[in-house]
Amino acid sequence: MNEQLAAALAAEEAAIYAYGALGVKLTGKGDRIEARAAEAVHRGRRDALVSRLSRLKASTAPAPAAYELPFPVTDRQSAVKLAIHVEDGVAQAWRAVLPVTTEADRSTGLNALVDAAVRATRWRRLGEVTPVTMAWPGRP
Amino acid sequence: MVLTGRVRRRHLIGVAAGGALSATAPAGCGLFDDDPEPAPPDALQPLLDEALALAAAYDRAVLAQPGLAKRLTPLADDHRTHAAELARVIGKALPSGAPASGAPDADPAGSVAALRKAEQAAQKTAVVACRAAPAARAGLTGSIAAARAAHAEALR
Repeated sequence: MNEQLAAALAAEEAAIYAYGALGVKLTGKGDRIEARAAEAVHRGRRDALVSRLSRLKASTAPAPAAYELPFPVTDRQSAVKLAIHVEDGVAQAWRAVLPVTTEADRSTGLNALVDAAVRATRWRRLGEVTPVTMAWPGRP
Repeated sequence: MVLTGRVRRRHLIGVAAGGALSATAPAGCGLFDDDPEPAPPDALQPLLDEALALAAAYDRAVLAQPGLAKRLTPLADDHRTHAAELARVIGKALPSGAPASGAPDADPAGSVAALRKAEQAAQKTAVVACRAAPAARAGLTGSIAAARAAHAEALR
């Protein structure tokens, strides 16, 4: 379980970084509100994971100071594309938590998976990317 | 191969007794009832029923309002994908090609709102199933819960 939670932490940290990088390229007010809300949610989950892993006495790698983005973010379109990419990645990390957890930890993982899938759909709609949903959120 | 001898013997008895009885035919013959009760329905059965019902509901909405096809068809396809996978995991065949039936909803806004409500209810079923699922089914049910939640978002 610790390994999967540590991977979820890495995904959340990457998401926080990505929202910082993509936020400046967003244009509409709706975009910016959504990005800020998403970043706050990812920060909240990052903090919860840090404290859960510390209670488990699990060691985690420090978050890198910077990340290489999967593609250049140069305009609104690529910014929204990165937001979708990030939420899909977060969903994958949390889905992997489900089989190795039960009870409260599984519920936490499920909530995070559901939230990431909903956010990815919202970004697809904002970016007019179709289809806006996928059959298996979080499945690699 | 350890069971071969026994199965063959049962089969032979079946043939002798009725001709049409196969080794696995369970019904109505106390002599061959090794399995006392039919298995209770699989815990995933409600999810499968909902996936099929939702796919059919989308089909009806599209029939009533062809203009919604582009928006709704991918969601119906997701449900059919879920149904196929759930049936595979449960180990049963899907009812073949159930066509859309029932009265189409004449009011498109009403029908989209009703679909959204149905997705939210179905999401709750999947969440409950995921929380109770054995490890091997946790990802499957979790992804279905997430997909249903995303569908509800797509219908906003």
